[in-house]
Amino acid sequence: MKELKGFSKVRLFVAYIMIALCVFLGILGMVFMESPSVAAERKVIVQAMDRDPDILDTIKAAWYSDALIYLHDRLISRDYDFRYRPGLATGWEVSEDGLIWIFHLRKGVTFHDGTPFTAKDVKWTIDTIKDPKTASPSAGDLKSIDEVKIIDDHTVQMVLKYPFPNLLFNLSNTALGIQKAGCYEEYGEYYGIKTVMGTGPFMFKKWVRGDRIVLVKNPDYNWGPEWMSNRGPALFDELVIRTIPEESSRIMELVTGGIHVLRDVPPLQADKLKENPDINIFIDQSTKLGYLAYACDKKPFDDVLVRRAINHAVDRETIVKYIFSGYATPAYGYLPPALKDEYLEESEELGYKYDPARAKALLAEAGFPNGFETTLSAENDSTSKRLAEVLQAQLAEVGIKAKIQLYDSASYVAMLKAGQQDLFVRLYSWPNADILDWFLLSAQFPYPNHSRWCDPKTDELINSAATAPTWEIRAERYKEVQRYLIEQAVWCPIYIPDKMLAVRKEVINFKNHPWMIQYSDGIDIVTK
Amino acid sequence: MLRYFVRRMAFLVLTLLGATIVIFSMLHLAPGDPIDLIVGPNVIPEVRENIRHQYGLDRPLAVQYLSFMKSLLHGDLGNSIIQHKPVSELIVERFFVTLELSLTALVISFLISIPIGIKAALKRNTVTDYALMALSLIGISMPTFWFGLMLLYIVAFKLRLFPVSGYGTWRHLFLPALTIGITDAALLARMVRSSMLEVIRQDYIRTARSKGLPERVVINRHALRNALIPIITLLGLRIGWVVGGSVVVEIVFARPGLGRLMVDSILARDYPVVQGVMVVLTTCIILGNLVADILYAVVDPRIKLK
Repeated sequence: MKELKGFSKVRLFVAYIMIALCVFLGILGMVFMESPSVAAERKVIVQAMDRDPDILDTIKAAWYSDALIYLHDRLISRDYDFRYRPGLATGWEVSEDGLIWIFHLRKGVTFHDGTPFTAKDVKWTIDTIKDPKTASPSAGDLKSIDEVKIIDDHTVQMVLKYPFPNLLFNLSNTALGIQKAGCYEEYGEYYGIKTVMGTGPFMFKKWVRGDRIVLVKNPDYNWGPEWMSNRGPALFDELVIRTIPEESSRIMELVTGGIHVLRDVPPLQADKLKENPDINIFIDQSTKLGYLAYACDKKPFDDVLVRRAINHAVDRETIVKYIFSGYATPAYGYLPPALKDEYLEESEELGYKYDPARAKALLAEAGFPNGFETTLSAENDSTSKRLAEVLQAQLAEVGIKAKIQLYDSASYVAMLKAGQQDLFVRLYSWPNADILDWFLLSAQFPYPNHSRWCDPKTDELINSAATAPTWEIRAERYKEVQRYLIEQAVWCPIYIPDKMLAVRKEVINFKNHPWMIQYSDGIDIVTK
Repeated sequence: MLRYFVRRMAFLVLTLLGATIVIFSMLHLAPGDPIDLIVGPNVIPEVRENIRHQYGLDRPLAVQYLSFMKSLLHGDLGNSIIQHKPVSELIVERFFVTLELSLTALVISFLISIPIGIKAALKRNTVTDYALMALSLIGISMPTFWFGLMLLYIVAFKLRLFPVSGYGTWRHLFLPALTIGITDAALLARMVRSSMLEVIRQDYIRTARSKGLPERVVINRHALRNALIPIITLLGLRIGWVVGGSVVVEIVFARPGLGRLMVDSILARDYPVVQGVMVVLTTCIILGNLVADILYAVVDPRIKLK
């Protein structure tokens, strides 16, 4: 009996603890239930991404978080037509030989800590990227620059080694966000992790790794580029960029209002989201290209007839329809049409249409009347996997029997570097014609020139385009490069995926920008 | 007792040594190069070699391993190649996120499995027993990934009772913990049942009943206590296994935990981080077992640690 009493005391104690716990959790719950209404006074827009950055430093990052677009300004901005317009530079002049560029810098611009922005910040940023000790992934983009000279506080001169009109593009890239001179010394090793210092419309508040990046509006911002309707501070208070790795979780967050903006809507979800009355979908052409490539230095892909046969064997319309639910465009050329100046309009006309009979004839002519056996490599994500399976079936129709091999992304790169590929599936995403330099110059062999295409004529055509004296001549010469690549069938271009953006309707004044969402340009959020 | 501890600690060191060798060689033998991810291919070769040298990746594997072990003995896990930060800091940041999840899940699984297991044992071979065990079989067979998504879909998406994903409050913790808790409970319930059945047949239970104790007291005080001993072993293993079970759940619910850190680092070939996480994990598992052994002795005076 005594024992029993003791036992019930214990039970009573446990019961107390449980009740206390419930009350505590209840209060906690109420506190957090309250928090949305507190947040309602602060206007917050939440965007989701599938991955977390490694570092928030434009100079050292190999993958750029969207946050970097809003934390920094660049010398040159890109407007809604993807034209290069003034940014931190109000204007620039290029000498006739294309070797001297003079930039006039905007006055009255300050960094988030109040320090005025001057020419020395521009020089420091570019010199630091170029310094081999920094090991910046962007160093290659600036190799045309020989020297940056400070003329006065608001004038900078760049001396080039050779004419390079594409400097416009490089200077407007995320990588060229202008940093505060000496920020590494000032903020130490935690720069890009605990502090980020820019002149952009949003300021760094915090970064919880793997979870979220929180930015707050810069109340002093009044130097937005001329093409923006709102050149002053952003209309809402906070921009949160959350990392949600799982696709279905991102979609559910969007529909329940946990996030407001989702970039890269999966094609299979687009129809469903379109029907949702709370969500707007913005569809635009992307600057991506999905293609089937092959090791051009290996048999039988060294034969242009075989390469053309492969191009004829692929039914792009079917792929677009069944793998991308129609949210893509068949591709015949090497650049996406969104690159208005450089895109070759007659790509489809010159390219290879679906024609299995012609493919078989070409294979027979090349000495493979019964086709051949080979391998088809792809990355282990769902789109690439499905694409590889469809390609395998289409190639089998003309007698090319390909065995599929799947890799995780690090092993895929290692495999391509080692030159073990035959046929392989790739997708690039880049808003500039210099992507062709990247993949096809023989200097880039064996990687990133993974199609192992070492050809003096290609080198000559690309180099003459890249170093053309003006942007217009450059564009014309890149068209010549594309004509030649189509004729040689260096790749088999397949599709250009649509760029799809889902935005909840609470977000107002949303304007779709061809490059990145311009949050400071009048975008706002209404709270219920 | 002291000798027992010394022996177990020596065992811990040996296991760690073995585990690190296996992990280290498997990681470095896998194709892929972390340098690709930090500098990209367009950088001049000297810069690449510079970085490779900076992280000591240009030395022979055996030398790399020895230097890793040397810094480990100094309590230094090195620096992340990709994330530009000390590994220990990355692990500490993530460890508590995962621990919070695992412990909550553990509590949930015990709260569910013990009553179910007891009930099933007492009602052995009745409809109740069959129904409960069928339920637990379903629980065991469900993939965590699918179950997590289903919970998300029904509770957070359709009913909107909890946030879909994220981290920070108990409301964010509830669904992921429930996912792991329920799947664990399914297995635990079966073990509680079988161990309960074994105990109930013992003589001292018959004695307890025959001396007229109420059934409630017989079960709670005499049977359950003894039946829990094998369960404690499981508990020890589970405490150690804080990461394994939560990787998938951390991805589905977007929780920035240790499991995700490990998977991301494996994919990026961020050697120091993977090694660091594995060392922490191995230590946790071994210590978990140790705790279980000690708890044994506490619960059952017949067991002596030698």
